[in-house]
Parts: sequence; C-alpha cells; structure tokens
Amino acid sequence: MTLLEVEDAHTYYGESHILEGVSLDVAEGEVVALVGRNGVGKTTTLRTVLQLTPPREGSVRFRGEDVTGLKTHEVADRGVGWIPEERRIFTQLSVEENVRVAVPDDGDADAAVEDAFGTFPDLREFAGKDAGTLSGGQQQMLALARGLVGDNDLLLVDEPSEGLAPQIVKRVAEALADAAEDTTLLVVEQNLPLALDLADRFYVLDNGQVVESGDADETSADDERLRRYLSA
Amino acid sequence: MLALAAYPGIYSVLVNSPMSSEMVALLPRVETMIVVFYFGLFAMSFDFISGYTGYLSFGHTAFYGAGAYFVILAANGKIPLLAPDTSFVYLLVLGGLLAVVLAILIGAVSFRLTGVYFAMITLGFAQVLYVFVREWDYLASNPSDGPAVLERTDPFSIGVPGIDSLNLAIGQLAGDSVEGLLGVLSFNQAEVSYYMIGLVVLICYFAMQRIVHSPFGKVLVAIRENEERAKAVGYATFWYKLGAFAVSAFFAAVAGGLFAGFQRSVSPENTFYFLVTGDALLASIIGGFGTLAGPLYGWLFDETVTEFLSKAGQGGGLLPYLREHLGDATMATELYNGLTVGQAIDTFLNGHAELYIGAIFVLFVLFVPNGLLGTVRDKLGGPVGEQIAARLRGDGK
Amino acid sequence: MMSIVLAGFVDALGQFLRPENLAAVLVDGLAKAGLYVMIASGLTLIFGLMGVLNFAHGSMTMIGAYLGGLVMVTLVGSATGAGARIVFFFVALAASFALLAGLGGIVEIGLVRRLYDRPPLYQILLTFGLTLILDELIRIVVLFYGMQPTSDWVAAQGTKPYFLEQSVDLGLVSVPGLDLFEIGFGVLTVATLWAFLTRTRYGMIIRAGSEDAEMTEALGIDVRRVFTVVFALGAGVAGAAGTLLMWESTWGASVPLAADALLPAFVVVIIGGLGTFRGTVVAAVIVGMTDAVMTWWFVNEIRFAGLPEMTIFLLLVVMLVLRPQGLFGVEEVGGH
Repeated sequence: MTLLEVEDAHTYYGESHILEGVSLDVAEGEVVALVGRNGVGKTTTLRTVLQLTPPREGSVRFRGEDVTGLKTHEVADRGVGWIPEERRIFTQLSVEENVRVAVPDDGDADAAVEDAFGTFPDLREFAGKDAGTLSGGQQQMLALARGLVGDNDLLLVDEPSEGLAPQIVKRVAEALADAAEDTTLLVVEQNLPLALDLADRFYVLDNGQVVESGDADETSADDERLRRYLSA
Repeated sequence: MLALAAYPGIYSVLVNSPMSSEMVALLPRVETMIVVFYFGLFAMSFDFISGYTGYLSFGHTAFYGAGAYFVILAANGKIPLLAPDTSFVYLLVLGGLLAVVLAILIGAVSFRLTGVYFAMITLGFAQVLYVFVREWDYLASNPSDGPAVLERTDPFSIGVPGIDSLNLAIGQLAGDSVEGLLGVLSFNQAEVSYYMIGLVVLICYFAMQRIVHSPFGKVLVAIRENEERAKAVGYATFWYKLGAFAVSAFFAAVAGGLFAGFQRSVSPENTFYFLVTGDALLASIIGGFGTLAGPLYGWLFDETVTEFLSKAGQGGGLLPYLREHLGDATMATELYNGLTVGQAIDTFLNGHAELYIGAIFVLFVLFVPNGLLGTVRDKLGGPVGEQIAARLRGDGK
Repeated sequence: MMSIVLAGFVDALGQFLRPENLAAVLVDGLAKAGLYVMIASGLTLIFGLMGVLNFAHGSMTMIGAYLGGLVMVTLVGSATGAGARIVFFFVALAASFALLAGLGGIVEIGLVRRLYDRPPLYQILLTFGLTLILDELIRIVVLFYGMQPTSDWVAAQGTKPYFLEQSVDLGLVSVPGLDLFEIGFGVLTVATLWAFLTRTRYGMIIRAGSEDAEMTEALGIDVRRVFTVVFALGAGVAGAAGTLLMWESTWGASVPLAADALLPAFVVVIIGGLGTFRGTVVAAVIVGMTDAVMTWWFVNEIRFAGLPEMTIFLLLVVMLVLRPQGLFGVEEVGGH
C-alpha cells in the first residue's frame, strides 16, 4: 500500500519558490531514491514531508492521512524519521544520549541503545563520549542509529554518503540496505551508482519539479534520461 | 514639524479657551515639550545608530552623560583651559567632540562584535562610566547626587556666540523672556527656552537627515539589511559603522548638553544609567525604529501620557480634572472594600504612567513593529510631509 | 608622594596576603558566587534553549524577593524559633518558585511565543517592555501597603534566624553565618540543576533542543512545549534567587533590585558563555571572587566605593574583547 503521497507541493523559502508542484509517492517497504542537481529542491522535498517547511499549496499524506499543516513533531510521531544532511547529531550529548533522545517516551530506551550498538558495534566503545568527538563516518552511523531507534515506518535520508571516505560509504550503504529490510526509505543521494544500487525506484527532480521517474534496477547510471538532468 | 513651531501659541490659546480644564488635562505643558525636544534628540541619535545600522547601542547614555556633565563641569570651572563663562554653544560643540572621541575609543573595540554581544559590550562601557561618575568626588561634593551649576554667572544662551543681541538664555528660572518682538509677539521664559532648544534640535535633525539620505546613509541601511553583502560589494563596513557611531555620539552629547543647560543640574541616574538608554529605545520603538523623526514623536507620546497621569501643578492631568468635574460624592463612592473611586485612581493611575507606557510598548512590539511613523509611512508610501504635499497637489498615488 | 602611595599599597598587599584575610575574602567570594549563580542560572537556561535574552529576568528576581518576604513576614512572629524560620524559608522559596514559574509560563505562551520567528532584537524589546510593566505593578502594590518601593524591606530582612546573623568561627577566620548559608544554597542549586540537566530525560531533551531545536522536533519531541517549561523553570529559579536576596543586607527586597540583579546576571552569563550552564557556574565564581577581592581593597586601601561594581563591568568588557563567546560558549550564538 502507499505509505507516503506528496501531491502538487509548492514550497517557498521566504519569497523564493523552491518546489513548483512536486508529486511523488512511496509504497510501504520500498526504497525510493530522489536524485537531481544541487539546489533543485531535494532537501526541501524532505523538509516538506516533515512539515519543517510546510507547503503553501498541495498536500502530504502519510498512511492515507493528510498531515499537511501538522506540527513537525506530530508528523514524526506518526512514524517518520529524518536523517538530515550533515547529520546534525547533538555534539554536546554523549553518543548514548543521542540514541536515547530519539526513543519515544513510551519506548524502552535501554533496549533501543542495545539494539543500536548491536547494529553499529563501532559506536559502543564511545557510548559515554560527547558525540562531537566522533569521526565523520561514526557520526553518520550515529545519525542512522538515531533514525532507526525511533520506531519509524518511513526514513527520510539526506545525502548519507556526503563527505565520507569510500570505505565508509560502503559501510553506510550496507547499513542502509539492512535498514531497508524493515523500513521504507526515501533517500536523497548525489552518488548515482549508490542511489540506483540501493533503490527500487527513483525520481529525478529539476527546478522544483519531478521530471523523470523509473525503475532503478532497469536503469543504469549513464542512462540518457538521468544524464540530461544530472550532468552540470 | 510646522505644528511644533506654533505649539506654545496654540497651547496658550487652548488653555484659556472655554475647554480650558480639558486642555490642561490633555495637552503637555510647554515645559514638558522642552523635555520632549532634548530627550527626543537623544532618542533620535540612538535611533541613528541602532535603527539604521541594526547595532543596538545599549550604552548610548555614555555620550548623553558626557555631554551633560561636560556643560555643568565647564560651568563650575572644572574643565581645564575652559573658563566658567564660555559660550554655551561652544560648550555644546566641545561636548559633542568629546563624545566623538569617546565613541571612537568604544566603537573601535565594540564593532568587532555583533548582535547581543555588541549591545552588551556598549552597556558594559556605559556602566563602567556610570559607576565612575557616581563615585568620583572631583565631579560634585556628593557625586551620587551629581553636580549643579555653582560658579558660572552667565546664563546658558543659545545664539551666535559673541553677539549679545543674537543670544537668548534658556532655563527655568535663569532664562530670558521677550516682550514686544515685532511689536506684537511676547514670549515667557518657558517659551523662549522652547524655541531656542527647539531650534538646536531642529538643526541637529536636519544634519542627521542629510547624513541618512546621503550615500553614507545608504551604506548604513545596507549594513542593517545584510552586512555580509555590503562587505562583499566592497564597503569597509567597520569604518562606516564607526563613523555612524561617532556622529550619533555627537548628537547624543548635544542632547545631554541641552538637558544640562536647561535643568542646570545633572545626576548619574538621569544621564549615564543604562535605563536612560531604555527610555530612548522605548521612544524609538513607539515612534518608529529606523525613522529619524519617529523617536521624537515616541518621546512626545511618553511625556504626554506621563503628564496626563500626574498630579495637579505638574501640568494637570486626569486626576485633577476628574476631581474638578466629578464632584466629591462620586470620588468618594466606594468601589470595593473601602476603596473609593478617588483612591483607586490615585493608586492605579497617578504617577504610574510607566505601567501603561510599558503595556503600550509591548503591544507595539507585538503588533506595530514599525512604530507610529513607520506605519504611517508604510500606509502613505513615503515620508509623511512629502506624501501630504503630493496629495494636496493632486498627484498622490 | 608617589612613594608614599606605593608604600601604602605594598603594605596593604601584605595585609591582603595574610592567610586569615585571604580566607575571609575566599568565603565572601564564594558566598557572592552563590548569589550570582542563583541570579544567572535561569537567564542562561532560557537563552540556551530559546536564544531569548530575557530582560525581565531582574524583575522576576525582584518579585521573588517580595513574595518570599511576604511569606516570611506573614508566617514569622517575634517568638518564632530558628528552626521554624528555616522551614518557613523553604516554604517561601517554594511559593516564589511556583508563582514565578507560573508567571514565566504565562509570559512565554502569551507573549514570547509570538516572536520566535522575528529577529532576536524583538525578544529583547518585548521582555524590556515587560520589565516596565512588572516593576510599575509592584511599585503600585508596595505603595498601596504603605511601604517605600525604593528602600529595602527591613521587616523581611528581620525574619532571619538568629544564627545567620551571627559569625561562625572556622578556626582561621570567623565568617558571617549568612555567607555559609548562601554558599550551601548556591551549591545545592547548582547540584540540583546539574542533576536535572544531565540525569533526567527531560534535561537531556533540553540540552538537545538547546543545540538543535529543529532536529529535536523532527525526533517527535514537542519543542515548543519544552520552551514553555524552560521559560517557567528559568523564571522560577529567578524567583527563588530573589527569595534568597531578600535576607541579604546588600540586596534586599526593593523595586530597584530588578535592575541591580539584571546587570550582574548579564555579566555572569556573558562571561561564562551565553547559554552554557557550566560556563555560568564558573563565571559566577569568577565574578563573586572579583567582587570579594575588590570589596576588600575598597574597605582597606582604595577609597573608591564603586571599585567592586566597576571592576565587574570592566571584566565584562575585557571578556567581550578577548573572547566574545565567553569561557565555554560556542561561537556564533548570540550574533546574528
């Protein structure tokens, strides 16, 4: 069934019109990639879903319920997680607290922390350290862990490979692939081979609109339909 | 502005009219209008730096205080090389220059900071000066009460220095009065002070107005809107800010000098203390932040409310008016548990203008962020005078 | 002439460095630090989370002083024993914490909340306007009951238990009992707030929200509600601080206490680094010690009554010049 539907969303930053009618949908269990050049509105699309920058026109539906205009925490409570660009972990909280803070009030925080360290064993030894002292790769792992423990049905993942060394990118990709087994993912990714590898389907965004979409397994990274919109 | 020129005349006509008691209650006295002028000038100078560049100069009283103390100390022979009887106009200018030096020293370190930090460092400087002035016994026999004019025999006169006939003295007791000017016009002491102080304020206003509308002023507004962009376009914003700070300090000191000249005594509390800057901020917000004339109207508003809620003999106001008109029976009516109408007014209104001004201020911050003048300009689409003139000519929008 | 001054100075320095004098200054400094940390903590909590510099903080402290005094004067009679007075003090403390927290909550929901989207200047303006209203309201009430709003409330100061008025012999020095009480109180406040911030889930959420409110919201946490709670908490701590100040002869409950408390609170918060609780604690000790040292020099050698106060403001200026973000602050916070 369809988990997320974005319909004709128009989103502005101040007076600049960023999304000019984006429509897309994500089915439960799918991994969907959102690709496109810098500044075409990929991050804004994720922010629009979460109502961080609510659309002025159009709607966002989650599990068939219209969530447009709700508060961000209400959308998040319904099971939408966000792994933002540049990770945005809480640098002054300990690694363990970064995980704990993401567990809902009625959740079992201890179990969640155990789970997270089970998935990312590298983080365990830093549990009590300030998260700001972690390396970039470790911070990305932590951000993923934070997204996963929130009991989310949909994860919005923004540029997970950005700024990471190739081996680390591989680890992140594995972690995402693992995550995809239990949750639905909407992934913004610059690294096209990685995006197509992870995803079942893709959307191409250009100038605030969806211009292409297709099946990721049938499309290669040098497909003409993609190259037109991605090459600078 | 024109209305202000005729105000003393209008006031004296109105308070002698059949509506006399209403007018006494509602209108500010001429003496109050003098305060509006010099403190309005201080508020304008505060707005010149804070409203136009966006840097909140929370220690602006340092300059107002410097100007005020300079005049009194010079009059007491406590400034080296200056005779107690030095012309008042010279004292105003010299006090202004002293403030310029002070502003350059303070600004040189403060303008490396922005936002809250800038507000706090200027506040820190002003408070250091405040404490210093409050405790230094060279300044006055009791420095925490501040000095008064003791030595000077000449009154403080405004006019062309050196030509007696082109000078008029200001002050509540020491000021000049004029009779039979052009055969018909007579002015009492308060009215003479009103016009002479008003004249200085007007000149200062036009000077600041010129600067604001010059290319220099445009850069200041650019700094407020987006300092990074102003820098990127190639402006050395630091020097523009420092220049603007010096200019505003000059006029703040002139305002302080006028205050000292008119009152003939000053105290640390009414010059250097940080809450005096708070009053200027209040005037600027109510009048219109970033509109040069706005703060003057803002302060006019403040003084009018204050006087309206004051006792008889201080310009009349609500309570004396009600006493006169309601009759003893009404005033003695019991409202609640022994509290009469008269007592209630006395308790909640009289002398408590700050409460109502504070409430109005909060409402302005919430709902009228552009202030009186700013909002009127937004509605009209430009400076009030120009727009009215344009409409009268029939070519308004 | 110069040499006489210098000789006097050296002599005074010798005096100052004697162990008993140093110990006395140390205790005095810690007592002052206890007061400063009480005054500044609420301000720093609010700024840390919301970025709002609450100009009404001093007024809230002042209201706390009057409320605490009111409870004490009502409950304490001349026959009340010392133990009962201490118990009543904690009743007074709880009352002013609760009432001020309520006021803070109302202010946040009714006024401050409308301004989060505007530049920081507007929050300063709003809370500044609030001080005008609060101070004048209190002045009306105080006048109504026939008291002088500008002088300290002596009756409230008289509700101290006798042992706080006496000196306690610590071997090397004997120190005022009230000083020890203030030190203990400051330590208790810091420990409580510290435990709340680091050991509870709510404290963790507050720290997360202080660093990145948007990210915290995206984790499903209603940050706006946390804002309200923290504003109430900050106001409550201000009220508790006021209750402590009510007993102090150098502070005391009066309307001008609003400004007298606000300025040192600003100094402490800026020196420590806007919004860091750890910084505020360290800065309170620094400012308290500076105050105590300068007070000693004023009393014993330098006849300039403004010396301690002036030095504190100089400390602010020097700190802003050398390290604007404060001891533990993060750069960029507070600029625009």
